[in-house]
Amino acid sequence: MIALPLSRGEVKMAIASVRSTKWRSLFTMLGVIIGVVSVVTVVSIGQGIKNQVGSQIGELSRDIITIRPGKLVNVSSDGSISSVNLLADAGNGGSLAAQDISTIADTKGVQTAVPLAITNGAVSVGSHATNSTPVLAATADLPTVLSQPLLGGNFFPADTTQQPYVAVLGSFAAKTLFHQSQPLGRTFQFMGRTFFVQGVFHQFDTNPLSLSTDFNNAVFIPYQTAQSLTNNNIRPYEVLVKPATSGQANAMVGSISTALAKAHQNQQQFTVLSQMQGLAVTNNILNLLTRMIAGIAAISLLVGGIGIMDVMLVSVTERMHEIGIRKALGATNHQILEQFMVEATVLSLTGGIIGIIVSFLVEYLLRVFTTLTPDITWQIMGLAVGVSLVVGILFGSIPALKAARKDPINALRNE
Amino acid sequence: MGFGVSAIIELREVSKLYGFGDAMTLALDEVSLTIDQNEFVAVMGPSGSGKSTLMNVIGLLDRPTHGEFKFNGRSAARLGADQRAKIRRDTIGFIFQSYNLLPRLTVLENVALPLAYKGVPAGKRLAMASHMLERVGLQDREYFYPGQLSGGQVQCVAIARALVNDPKLIIADEPTGNLDSVASRLIMELLTEIHKTGNSILFVTHNPELTRYASRVVYMRDGAIMQDEATKFGEVAATALKQMYTIPERTVDDDLAGVSALMHAVPQKPAVRGATAAKSGKKAKRKPAKRKKSGAKK
Ligand SMILES: Nc1ncnc2c1ncn2[C@@H]1O[C@H](COP(=O)(O)OP(=O)(O)OP(=O)(O)O)[C@@H](O)[C@H]1O
Ligand SMILES: [Mg+2]
Repeated sequence: MIALPLSRGEVKMAIASVRSTKWRSLFTMLGVIIGVVSVVTVVSIGQGIKNQVGSQIGELSRDIITIRPGKLVNVSSDGSISSVNLLADAGNGGSLAAQDISTIADTKGVQTAVPLAITNGAVSVGSHATNSTPVLAATADLPTVLSQPLLGGNFFPADTTQQPYVAVLGSFAAKTLFHQSQPLGRTFQFMGRTFFVQGVFHQFDTNPLSLSTDFNNAVFIPYQTAQSLTNNNIRPYEVLVKPATSGQANAMVGSISTALAKAHQNQQQFTVLSQMQGLAVTNNILNLLTRMIAGIAAISLLVGGIGIMDVMLVSVTERMHEIGIRKALGATNHQILEQFMVEATVLSLTGGIIGIIVSFLVEYLLRVFTTLTPDITWQIMGLAVGVSLVVGILFGSIPALKAARKDPINALRNE
Repeated sequence: MGFGVSAIIELREVSKLYGFGDAMTLALDEVSLTIDQNEFVAVMGPSGSGKSTLMNVIGLLDRPTHGEFKFNGRSAARLGADQRAKIRRDTIGFIFQSYNLLPRLTVLENVALPLAYKGVPAGKRLAMASHMLERVGLQDREYFYPGQLSGGQVQCVAIARALVNDPKLIIADEPTGNLDSVASRLIMELLTEIHKTGNSILFVTHNPELTRYASRVVYMRDGAIMQDEATKFGEVAATALKQMYTIPERTVDDDLAGVSALMHAVPQKPAVRGATAAKSGKKAKRKPAKRKKSGAKK
């Protein structure tokens, strides 16, 4: 006799009741709406990045191996990543010295090794100077290792002694510095020298949370030039390696690690990762971050739930007389409970659905105005709706119980 | 036990106390009352004499503090909240002075509400409600909201709602209290119609005229039943008649005390049928026209 079928009338009545106090209902739902929007947006951004990273690993670049100073990850014996040191001393873990680069380059099976180093300094075009464009020193094999074609012009040759002050730009850097997509032949000032743009890269698939610098935003100058400009005080943060034969990446990771360890008598640690492992690292970090931020965002859902409880409590008090009438007409405690539970659920569910609609709006705006490509999956939507439902039921039950337990005559006396 | 077999209401020495210590009120003072099937009972008495309290106890909305109460042969003390709710739903129809319709539901939905709690499917219950509204002459107001009707019409809707579950007992606490004499008569005639179909009706009124419709009149004072008389249909009850024509003069004392002379116009303790004489030494001045200390409040 307790299992009363939820009639359409009851749901209709609940909706009518929610609608009759539109403004208050909206403010009540606001907490849930904000909660859902933040959770969905955070998770969808994370999902979008993962999608990008995944698609970025094309056939050609699958073989790349990166070597970085410091111990960024723990690799278990079978080659899989067992843990990621998020707080790894990325900068303090030492750097790669010139000998290390030659150690790597001399390892058997390495076709090319390209060091990458950040050269500090402002880039100025005309009178306009900027520090936000990183200048990376690289060797001539960079396009080969990355399998990245140029949009226009040429990459600098292996020997740049004849023409040391040349540069190749990432596609965004071309636009931000020169406001054109192929500013070939244009010049900029860097460390007191005038550099000449001789090429522009095709747009790299971005990987916003990757550990490396965003190549699209970067200016590339010859390694030799950077060395001479800084008096050989250049410290590569990363070496990119292309194995001589493809499909050898995992074996190469092992031999490079061994070679480096031998050269340093195990005194210094390096992180040697194949691209696939790198993807795993990125995903690990990403998942962790997404979960953390989503957790924080979920707190606003909790606050939303408390808001619902608050409004429902007020509503129960305000509607004591109505509860009395309903009880006089024969509503059982269970039926009153149900009525208020349905109301709380309608409130939170409506909040959840509005939240998802707003999330799509936010997603659209993010796609238009940022490089992020958030991806709202069915799972995220289902999760958001589910959580808001649970919040409604959880926080609606206290006021609903209060209403149900009210003595009929006392409720009726309340005007 | 000596209770009648066909009795729908059996009260034995039922008392209701409110509050504690000095602030204690004896709203019902050992009331014994038996109401049989198909009676049409009017309850009269001054304000505060416990009429509403009695209605609430009989209607299973409230629980008495002491005494025995059987509803339809079942001991009310043993009924749980849900059983009470179901009895209210299936066998009792309430009509209130302040109508008590839900303002956000249409007239039709209001009338259908008791059926909803019974689990009648939506289509059927709206049809039944519509039929009930037709019976009270408001079929053309189905989709109005209570706020869009006159007091008399709203009370008719409330009657339709009370009747929709075909209750055995109708409890009306001052159903005409907010209506003028024409609307009051209409309502009473409607109740009379209903009574003919076999329901028991229990109504509270302050208007002696309306005892014409009743088959029995019960007078209360200070939480006790003072008098209980049978009347012929269409005649004002004898005591009520006396009250009508012996409305005492207002005295200067009354005015000073802010007491309406009407308060005295109620028969005093003796001449009671069915009610146990209160043992407490309540001051029982015989003559109703004489001044007495204010009202029923204790
Ligand atoms: N909830 C309550 N708490 C305390 N005292 C109450 C309560 N309800 C009623 N009383 C007291 O019980 C007594 C009887 O009240 P009741 O409402 O039954 O009177 P009544 O005969 O219906 O009066 P009226 O004709 O004005 O409606 C009054 O003295 C009243 O003050
Ligand atoms: Mg009353």
